[in-house]
Order: sequence, then structure tokens, then C-alpha cells
Amino acid sequence: MSPTPIGRRGFLKGGLGAAALAATGGALAACAPGAPGAGGAGAQPSKLARPTASASSVKGEITVWNRSGDLFKVFDAAIGRFRQAYPNVTVRHQAVDIDAKLANTLISGTDVPDGSFWDDARIGGQAEHLYDLTDLIAPYRERTSAYKLSVNTVGGRIYGVPWDLDPGLLWYREDVLESAGVDPAGLATYDDLLTAARTVKEKDPRTRPIHLEKTPFLSQLWLEMLANQQGTSLTDAQGRLRLDSPEYRRILTWVRSAVDDGLVTHAPYLEPADISALDGGQQVFVPWAIWWSFAPQQLLKATKGRWRAAPLPAWTPGGARSGAMGGSSFVIPAKARNPELAWLLYEFLCFKEPGYTAVYGPNDVYPGGLSTSIPSYTPALDPDKPLFRPIEALGGQDLWKVAVEAAATIPAAAPIPGWWAQSVDYLGDNLQRLMSGRMSPDQVITESVEKIQRNLIDRS
Amino acid sequence: MRSFRLSPYLFIAPFFVVFAAFGLYPLSYALQLSFMRWRGAGEAHWVGAGNYLYLLTSPDFWASLGNSAVMWLLIVPVQVVAGLGGAVLLANARLRLRALFRVAFIAPFVTPLVAMAQVWIVVFDQDHGLVNHLLGLAGLPGVEWLTSTAWAKPTLALLFLWKTTGFAIIILLAGLQAVPGGVYEAAALDGASRWRQFWSITVPLVRRSTAFLVVVQTLAVFQMFAEPFVVTEGGPYGSTTTAGLYLYKHITASDLGTGAANSFLLVLLVFGLSLVSVRLLRAKDGT
Repeated sequence: MSPTPIGRRGFLKGGLGAAALAATGGALAACAPGAPGAGGAGAQPSKLARPTASASSVKGEITVWNRSGDLFKVFDAAIGRFRQAYPNVTVRHQAVDIDAKLANTLISGTDVPDGSFWDDARIGGQAEHLYDLTDLIAPYRERTSAYKLSVNTVGGRIYGVPWDLDPGLLWYREDVLESAGVDPAGLATYDDLLTAARTVKEKDPRTRPIHLEKTPFLSQLWLEMLANQQGTSLTDAQGRLRLDSPEYRRILTWVRSAVDDGLVTHAPYLEPADISALDGGQQVFVPWAIWWSFAPQQLLKATKGRWRAAPLPAWTPGGARSGAMGGSSFVIPAKARNPELAWLLYEFLCFKEPGYTAVYGPNDVYPGGLSTSIPSYTPALDPDKPLFRPIEALGGQDLWKVAVEAAATIPAAAPIPGWWAQSVDYLGDNLQRLMSGRMSPDQVITESVEKIQRNLIDRS
Repeated sequence: MRSFRLSPYLFIAPFFVVFAAFGLYPLSYALQLSFMRWRGAGEAHWVGAGNYLYLLTSPDFWASLGNSAVMWLLIVPVQVVAGLGGAVLLANARLRLRALFRVAFIAPFVTPLVAMAQVWIVVFDQDHGLVNHLLGLAGLPGVEWLTSTAWAKPTLALLFLWKTTGFAIIILLAGLQAVPGGVYEAAALDGASRWRQFWSITVPLVRRSTAFLVVVQTLAVFQMFAEPFVVTEGGPYGSTTTAGLYLYKHITASDLGTGAANSFLLVLLVFGLSLVSVRLLRAKDGT
């Protein structure tokens, strides 16, 4: 008897079943999340060893990502100095929309760069995809801003090479205060700032003197600056929420009273509406990070030369006169091909005098130097040895000295939680509702705490 | 009895191999992932139905579906009507410059969406946008097109309509051209007006094309991502966080298990909606 032939339908069913089983069963078993080969850094963070070769003998090629724009050009020039120090290292420096691409690239593991510039607020959320740099940074630890170290720390390990420090300052119109009889040196507390704003408004009712930010992300960053001034932040070192606290309530109450008294211009950071309110004389006070210095230098026309910087007012008499707002660091992905070479580059840019001088000192892009931040490496922060020059657009003010002295008062912070960027959907949005007069401080706190706890902390 | 021959199966094997590798495997993998807590690296933890329960009890998840549902209401009925109108217009043999109109209707469909989204940002900017400028010239107050919860969804829906109505016209035009001309001639002989012919012949006979269009556009609306991502980033206050954008937020937050669970819930929902649409539109077909 001849063997029974296999019917076509049966063959196809069997073949398909086998293929599916092979593809799903076997392959899934091999590539299940967390299994070897599944990608990612594994349960233990990847540690990076210090390269032992001398500068002249290290060899290889790295790809590093940076933001586009002027900062890219500044770093490009500084990387030129790195090439001189490490002649056999080729650096492919690429301008990339980092916020849109990096997180996805780290997760997918495809075309991962050897290093990248990144916001401090976003690093914690991707720590498992990054090299643990704790041992490499150890020699520089004591001479690096405590704030920057803390925001780059996740679970006691450091995942970013701290780059810039962004002290908050009070930007004000010198001419307007003079004509209103307000002494900027007398703005010692936030209550003084409200009083000054009322005085300015009485003199010119068109003004709405204090800038409040209209974008949720930046407004939450601004809130954190004011919280950092008081030595607190969204979470403590154990990751517990501390939004429901006297410090945050003090900030939110101050914001609400400024809103209720008609003392604020609620506008998105340096967008046309904001610029028009700044140049039109409507805004007089901008409590913001040092990077606002970009505005009078590049964007403002009518009021260029009339703005000045001072330390922020304090929340309590004698309290800290600055807090950090934003900041960036350099990360080395766990799937980088040449992580050691990327470390050498970032070490050079952040901790070596020729490197940070090349970044902050006079260059082709900024003939007076880069004045939108200061280094976080304390040996670079000598008030009497400015890296960038006094700024003409600020009436020749020595911004370096103001910023360095303010930065010295910035309290340390707790690590930024990995979910910080996602919390903007709750806290940032509610902060906007407060600024629009649609929520009370207590409502902001209660609702944000509940949503952040449920959607982010309980699931992290 | 025919003997078994292997060659035909070898010829069709490539399809099954590719389908298994790029269809079945990712689907199965995503299904497995939806029952886990995994951040894309490190250890994964089995959470059973935890991700599904979290989503089904999350106001944000339902809000994203609600946003997509409102978008659907703003887009699909309008698109069916506009598409049918455009198709009837282009099917008219006496229309001059028909080729030009066809190109004009299809041009937005082939324009890169991200580029158009950027144009939308400029045109509908609250302070310096063209639309508010024109309103100002007419003595009307400006509108917060992209920055108020009331207007952001309609403004995005308009972008979607501008981009895809040409596609709707093509689908319905194909349906119209399949209707035999003799049916209209017979109706005309019986004294039916053009309006009567439209309602009694055109609309019923393009029902299948309409059903196809509704299903395809339902899928597209519930997967809508680029428009809110580029134009409003899901704001203001989450009012344009569509189902597709909400899903994406889990991925960028490295919450891959929840993202996978969200995908499957979305598939089930869209499948159900599509089934209902097809049933409703075929109800009178007797099929």
C-alpha cells in the first residue's frame, strides 16, 4: 500500500503551524524580555573602564549627537581642539533632534551613537540604557557642582557627564526700575518682587511686569528652579513625592497672588508674543535661568541694552539666591561601539581646561564667549577669571561674575526621577491652570500628587 | 491517487517564512509583552493582566479614546459627505478641466504630513497666524486655534480633512464609475430628477465603497499620531492626546508592556468599530 499523500490544505496548515511555533515559541523563548540577547543593559548597569592608552595612541571613530543650532557650532569648534589632543580619534559630530530620537534609539538599539548631549531631566528615565560612569567621574566628583551630580544620579550611580550649570537669575529692566524709583538691590525676597511689580504697574498701568511661562514643560522646569532654591524638589532621595510641602505651597501661592493682582504676562518662552511683550515694555521682570541672556543678545531690539541680571530674590530672608533651571549632560549609551573614546571626548570638554575654555571662551560663533550657561566643574568657576566677556546687550554687565556668585548658593538636589518628563502631563498642565486662574494652589498639589503617584510612581 | 509534490510548496514558502518572521512573530512577541512590565532593558516581570487593568481603570486612557472619538465625529461624516460631493463632481462628463481637478484633489494626499503640520502651526498661530490676521482685517477677534481646548481638536481635524479628503474622493469615484450608466438612463426615462437619482441610485450603489472608506478612515483616525505630535504635542491640557499619541507616550517612557497592552486594546476597539460600520452600511444590501 502506498503511503497516503498529504493533502495540500493539511500540508499548509501543518507548515504554517510549525513556522508559527518556531517563530513564536522558540524565538520568544530565546528573545524574551530580560533574557540574554534581548537587548538592553541587563540587570546590572554596564560599567565603563578607563582607557589606558596614551592620548597619542588611542585610535578609533565615534559618532556623537548634539542639538542643532549655535551650540552645535560651538561644540564643533571645541571638538576640533579635542582632535588636536587626540589626533587618532575621528569624531563624527551630528546635529540631531535628540528629544525626538534618542529615547527610541536607545530602546531599539539601532544606530545608537557613542555619546549624546541630553537634558538632565530626561536622563534618569533611560538610565538602564546608559553606561554607569560613577568610577570614571570619581576623580572629578569633589570639584563638580553637587546639584549636577545629584541630578545625574540614579540608584546611587552616575549616568551622565555633568556639563553645564544654569543658575536662575532675576532679569530686569534697569531703566524702568529707575524711573519707578525701585532699587534692584532691594529685591531681597519674592515679596519685595511683588511690591516692586505693583509699584511699576502703578507708574505705568500698561505693564504686566512679571513673566510667567505658558508652556507646561518649561513652567514645570521653572517651578523646580524655585523649589531647588528652597532645598527641595519633586521627589526626595528615596523617590517619594514631596510636592505637598510648605515650600511648593509657598511658590504656588505666590504665583496665584501675582496672577490675581494682574501683575503677570503669561507667554510662551521667547515666542513672538513673548518677545513683543518684552520689547513693548509690558514685561519688566523675568525670573529665569541664565540662558535667558540669549534674548537681549539675539532677539530683542527696542529694549536691547536695557536689561540687567541680578540674583533671584530669596523665599525667606537670608535664603538661597539662586536655584538651577534645566541643564544638560553627556550620556554614553550602553550599546555604544566605542564608549571609552566617547568618555575621553566628554572628559576633555567638561573637565580639562583647554576643553571647557574652548566651549565657553570667545569663538567664531560667539565672539564674546558662550554666556547662556556656566560650567559645573568648580575649578572653572572663578568670579575673577571669566570665561566669557561682559555683555554689550546687557549694558556691558559682567554676567559671568553675577552668575558664578549666584551659582555658589544653589542647594544640592535629590536625583531627578526617571518619570520627571512624563509628570509634565499632570503637574505642568495644572501649573498652567493655576497661572490662568483656573486652579488654586491646593488643587494643583492635590490633583498632581494623585495622578503622579498613580500613573508614574506606582508603575515605575 | 496523485502523489505529493513538494515544488509548489517551495514556491509559496517564502511568503509564509516572511509572514511568520515579520507578522506572526512580532504580534506574538507584543502579546507576550503586554502581560509584562519591561523597560526595554534589564529584567522583565510578569504582571498578568495588570497592564490591561491599569489602562481600563485609567482616566487618561479613556480620555485619549474620547479625544479620538471626537476627532472621528469631526472627520469621518464630513469626509464621507465631502468625498461623495467631490466624486459626483469629478464623475460629471461635462465638467471642464477634470484632470486638473483630480490632481488638485489628490495633491494634499501626497504632500508630506509633517511639512503640512508645520504650515498649520504658522497659519493658525494665535498671535501671528494668517487666519487670525484675516479675522482681524474683518474686525473679528482672534481665536486660540491651537492653544484652547475648545478649538485645538477642530483645527487638527481640519488638517486631517485637508490631507485625506482627496483619498476619499478617489475611493468613492471608483465606486461611482462601477455604477452602470443604464440605471441612470432608466431612472431619467421614468422622470426621476437628478436629486432623486442621487439619493435613490448613487448613494445606495456606492454603499460598499463608503463602508470601505469609513473602515479605513476609522483606522486612520484612531491611529492618528503625527498631527497632534507635531502641531500641539497632545495639548492643551491633553485635549489632543489621541489614542495613537497616548500609546506613543508609553513607549517613550520605556513602559513597553503598557504600550503593548494599549495597542491590543486599540486593535480590539477599532476592529469592533469597523465591524459595526460595515454592518450598518451593508444592512440594506442583503449580504
